[in-house]
Amino acid sequence: MYKGKERKGSSSEWRDAFWNPRTHELLGRTASSWGLILLFYLVFYLFLAGMFVLTMYIMLLTLDDYKPTWQDRLATPGMMIHPKGDQLEITFSVSETESWDRFTQTLNTFLSPYNDSYQVQMNDNCPPDQFFIQEDSGEVRNNPKRSCQFNRSMLEECAGISDRFYGYSRGQPCVLIKLNRVIGMLPGKNGQSPYVTCGAKREDGDKLGPLAYYPPNGTFNLMYYPYYGKKAQVNYTQPLVAVKFLNASVNTDINVECKINSNTLEAGSERDKFAGRVSFKLRINHT
Amino acid sequence: MIYKIQATSQGHFTRVQHYLLYSARQKPHGEFNKARWLYFGCSQLLVHTVRMPDSTYGRSDSYRVATTQDKADRSPKKKKGGTKDMDDLKKEVPITEHKMSIEEVCRKFNTDIVQGLTNAKAAEYLIRDGPNALTPPPTTPEWVKFCRQLFGGFSILLWTGAILCFLAYAIQAATEDEPAGDNLYLGIVLTAVVVITGCFSYFQEAKSSKIMESFKNMVPQQALVIREGEKVTINAEEVVGGDLIEVKGGDRIPADIRVVSAHGCKVDNSSLTGESEPQSRSPDCTHDNPLETRNVAFFSTNCVEGTARGIVICTGDRTVMGRIATLTSGLETGKTPIAKEIEHFIHIITGVAVFLGVTFFILAIILGYSWLEAVIFLIGIIVANVPEGLLATVTVCLTLTAKRMAKKNCLVKNLEAVETLGSTSTICSDKTGTLTQNRMTVAHMWFDNQIHEADTTEDQSGASFDKSSVTWLSLARVAGLCNRAQFKAGQDSLPILKRDVAGDASESALLKCIELSCGSVRAMRDRNKKVAEIPFNSTNKYQLSVHETEDPNDNRYLLVMKGAPERILDRCTTILVQGKEQPMDEELKEAFQNAYMELGGLGERVLGFCHVLLPEDQYPKGFAFDTEDVNFQTDNLCFVGLMSMIDPPRAAVPDAVIMVTGDHPITAKAIAKGVGIISEGNETVEDIAARLNIPVSQVNPRDAKACVVHGTDLKDLSQDQMDDILRNHTEIVFARTSPQQKLIIVEGCQRLGAIVAVTGDGVNDSPALKKADIGVAMGISGSDVSKQAADMILLDDNFASIVTGVEEGRLIFDNLKKSIAYTLTSNIPEITPFLFFIIVNIPLPLGTITILCIDLGTDMVPAISLAYETAESDIMKRQPRNPARDKLVNERLISIAYGQIGMIQALGGFFAYFVILAENGFLPSRLVGIRLNWDDRSTNDLEDSYGQQWTYEQRKIVEFTCHTAFFVSIVVVQWADVIICKTRRNSVFQQGMRNKILIFGLFEETALAAFLSYCPGMDVALRMYPLKPSWWFCAFPYSFLIFVYDEIRKLLLRRNPGGWVERETYY
Repeated sequence: MYKGKERKGSSSEWRDAFWNPRTHELLGRTASSWGLILLFYLVFYLFLAGMFVLTMYIMLLTLDDYKPTWQDRLATPGMMIHPKGDQLEITFSVSETESWDRFTQTLNTFLSPYNDSYQVQMNDNCPPDQFFIQEDSGEVRNNPKRSCQFNRSMLEECAGISDRFYGYSRGQPCVLIKLNRVIGMLPGKNGQSPYVTCGAKREDGDKLGPLAYYPPNGTFNLMYYPYYGKKAQVNYTQPLVAVKFLNASVNTDINVECKINSNTLEAGSERDKFAGRVSFKLRINHT
Repeated sequence: MIYKIQATSQGHFTRVQHYLLYSARQKPHGEFNKARWLYFGCSQLLVHTVRMPDSTYGRSDSYRVATTQDKADRSPKKKKGGTKDMDDLKKEVPITEHKMSIEEVCRKFNTDIVQGLTNAKAAEYLIRDGPNALTPPPTTPEWVKFCRQLFGGFSILLWTGAILCFLAYAIQAATEDEPAGDNLYLGIVLTAVVVITGCFSYFQEAKSSKIMESFKNMVPQQALVIREGEKVTINAEEVVGGDLIEVKGGDRIPADIRVVSAHGCKVDNSSLTGESEPQSRSPDCTHDNPLETRNVAFFSTNCVEGTARGIVICTGDRTVMGRIATLTSGLETGKTPIAKEIEHFIHIITGVAVFLGVTFFILAIILGYSWLEAVIFLIGIIVANVPEGLLATVTVCLTLTAKRMAKKNCLVKNLEAVETLGSTSTICSDKTGTLTQNRMTVAHMWFDNQIHEADTTEDQSGASFDKSSVTWLSLARVAGLCNRAQFKAGQDSLPILKRDVAGDASESALLKCIELSCGSVRAMRDRNKKVAEIPFNSTNKYQLSVHETEDPNDNRYLLVMKGAPERILDRCTTILVQGKEQPMDEELKEAFQNAYMELGGLGERVLGFCHVLLPEDQYPKGFAFDTEDVNFQTDNLCFVGLMSMIDPPRAAVPDAVIMVTGDHPITAKAIAKGVGIISEGNETVEDIAARLNIPVSQVNPRDAKACVVHGTDLKDLSQDQMDDILRNHTEIVFARTSPQQKLIIVEGCQRLGAIVAVTGDGVNDSPALKKADIGVAMGISGSDVSKQAADMILLDDNFASIVTGVEEGRLIFDNLKKSIAYTLTSNIPEITPFLFFIIVNIPLPLGTITILCIDLGTDMVPAISLAYETAESDIMKRQPRNPARDKLVNERLISIAYGQIGMIQALGGFFAYFVILAENGFLPSRLVGIRLNWDDRSTNDLEDSYGQQWTYEQRKIVEFTCHTAFFVSIVVVQWADVIICKTRRNSVFQQGMRNKILIFGLFEETALAAFLSYCPGMDVALRMYPLKPSWWFCAFPYSFLIFVYDEIRKLLLRRNPGGWVERETYY
């Protein structure tokens, strides 16, 4: 009535399950069985890969080379500081060179494309306070698009020219602020350029001391906008604003928040701490 | 022929008795009717062949239905079965009082035959022995049950995930200023999931066990005792050994008593022994066996009539009934087959989850991720791997089936038992009536020297012979006229095969057959008015009737006759061949014999038909036919043909049916042969010995397929011998079995890997019921103990419900496979995002929250809806599944779900993911390796492919939009998946989309997905974001591919049965 259950030692059963010498089965399948199933899966996955590549290819065909399909998540451009420090914390000791050496180094590297000589050579000297619009005429692309000069010297005290150490050696550090690039963004109107203001957060207000902005008033001049994307506008130079902390309190954490003031950009959502603003911690140790 | 039917005390027999009485009035022709009788008899009544003149079954004429016991000498040493655990319970009942004289008994209990016990003594005994009540079986405390639900199955894995979440959060909280709440929330969600599914399962279980509570309404019993010479009515629980007790008709006997005096006392021992006939009790010891002797009456049996007085000898758990009940409740029952399957499946999934989790944990550490990150990956992999909603889905599916069965009066006590009947491979039953369809049909006919297959189709499309043949018309006329069955009124709209017929089974079969092929039998009978009739009787073994002919000008009478073929043949001198009457020569006789043998060999019941036109000169019109003193010719007839009928066994009936009965072996064998448990052509060792005329010992036991084992032999058998019997015989009858022996039989079958169902109603059946994989008890006739022990209760005692159970069980097994295949498929698109996240360092395509939304949200209703799917093919024609091979979840299911459909789904999800990122500016080439910067909170100027810069939050919103799109894509591909999972072999176009719940499920999951994506506030609550409409369509090509791919696969499957596709992909 029942198919006889052969009782075997469990160890030989295990061995048989792995390799059965009688039926030449490896893990319960013969060589041809393995071959067939592997061949099937190979063909099947090749086919799937082909299909995936095809759909991806079709999708990529629908994309514009110069402008992403959607930009609604970038309505409020983000802001960022340089040097970034460690987790947006700029902590250094005035007397210890090593503690701020890396900041000046990254600033040097970062600012090298802004060198006046380079900028003059590559970019235009645009008329200020107006957008530098270079529209395409219909299907004919007006490429490559020109970019406006942002000369390192415009950062004056923070250009690293007169003061190689960007004030770090004197406890008056410079922090560069940039507005994230967003293709086609027009951050102002009526000739009013957006400008950066910084302030201390919460109870740190009195620790911050006076600030100096370069270029004057901390503006991002309208002539640097709109941005046409890295493919069309290869040499785009992102405008910067430098903030110099002239007399910040030492040996204490200062929470600084810089934000953009513009008459067109909407304020970012409460959740995004870096949309239209940037927060960082500054701590100058001085013994 | 005497049909003596005595009323039994049990109401549930009435229906059958009506049938029997009806049949008796109809005086059915015994030859072909006896089987029906026996069939019914053994299905519900104890039918015993008391006198067998021909000594072979089927030839005897006297049947006594449910009459006095010849069971009374059932195996005297019945209690010697058990050898293993619970030894003493399995031993012989230690009652000796029946052999003692009354004085000795009185002395033993310090009692008095007139005065009874003194109150003081009674109180002393009560303290010593405890109350006279059965100890209720130990119940698991509720909190243990709850904990079992809370920590069983996948719960452990999810708990691990939750604890890791809290751990990760704790680490984050300790090391970071503003810890992200994600892990905390996920931990809480996981805990909630486990607790909620645990509660759900717990309440489901509680609900089904609550139904049982209603059976427990035990009314407190009273007993009339004589103490200190006074009759007092006390609570039955206070009865003690030695009490002098009086019982009268209608009472329930409060304890085991030694009868000291009786006046026409009869007790009904049916709940204890299964004997339905009341037995008289008297003070005399009539048998050594306490169970057989007349001077002992047992606890909880009923006194039917008369009065008796007796001394209590056993109380409470020490009574015979108490011992069986204790034995029953002490039995360990194994897991149900479906529970084993689910456990097996959980092992697979857990194995995969742990393997992947640990592998990637180690990989993550090697790749230089921090411990915290590695732990978070681990959590993700666990969450993605565990089909959180599946166990709830399974529970719901089982509950739905249980409800459906409850509607058909089939109450399932244990949810998991729903499936068990479907996989049952062995049924132990004395209720053999369960096993055939109870629908006699004409299968073959022989006329014109040829065997023809009967056409049983409603539209007669399957005709295999020439309907216009004169011989066939004559045969049909004989079968229609010489037939007392008729359709019950008011069924004209029903298909012929479904109509109810008044009449016995074989005549009904003939009636339906003729009605189907030749049109109205009633009209035929009206045309041929009946003038005389001799009903069947067993001396003649024929039935005849005389009719006027159809032709009004023909004044001859037509005599038609049917009966046992050889008897009919004896009366014939001619035979109708091709419409011409030919003399019956040896050649034709041999042809007849061959046909008879062949049909008989098929196990069919063969009838012969003949007719004659009576010569007008001898029997002129108006001739007075005298049927008492036959004054007309009944020989020199013209043979017309044979018709054979079968009562088809229920297609789903397991090939192994073991009959376990208390009957005498000869009777049991006869019944077994009659109902096909021992099929025609199969012989027992004894039969072979008799045929070859050699001693039994010389017969090779392997030659015998059938076997009849006497209960008393059973106890002498070693385990190996027992296994040998079960393994080498397909048809086994155990006769004279005691409760303990039934238990041994069940254990033997289970040892051989069978899934055993036991049906029974008496207390004596309860140990076997409990031990069986599924015990089926009777709702009306069953004793409380048997109901307690059973997993399923047939509320209306209708055995046809068992077939419903088998069907539902198989259907739910199939549908659970589909549900699981559907649910598991979405695991691949849930796991692969993590794997690519870790290996290729792309932003995470699918988050844990969205995974939970799929598993516990959108996948639930479609998965449950598959439980409503109708069967694809005739599931009743299948063999019962082999638990060793046919797993719920097998490698083919995993191969399809994980390796094929799941992969397509994952691609669909990834495609949506890449579309969204690309359209937002991150082309695929930019993504590889971006993860470290992407997930860095302090990087707020991450550059995309177009040179734009993104803050952390901005790109995270895009990432979460991707999660949402991936989630929606899974919903889209799951549309196709649920449609392909509807069927395992058939095309959806064959199966149709009639499952309304499934259609609802499709809309529901879509609506839920849309809600989760678009409802305001979801961005904060679940971090799901609104999708652009076009993103919904990303996965459509993949959904379509799934559908087409699987349809092609199923097409190949159907085209090449047993081919490679089936071997590799048919789950």
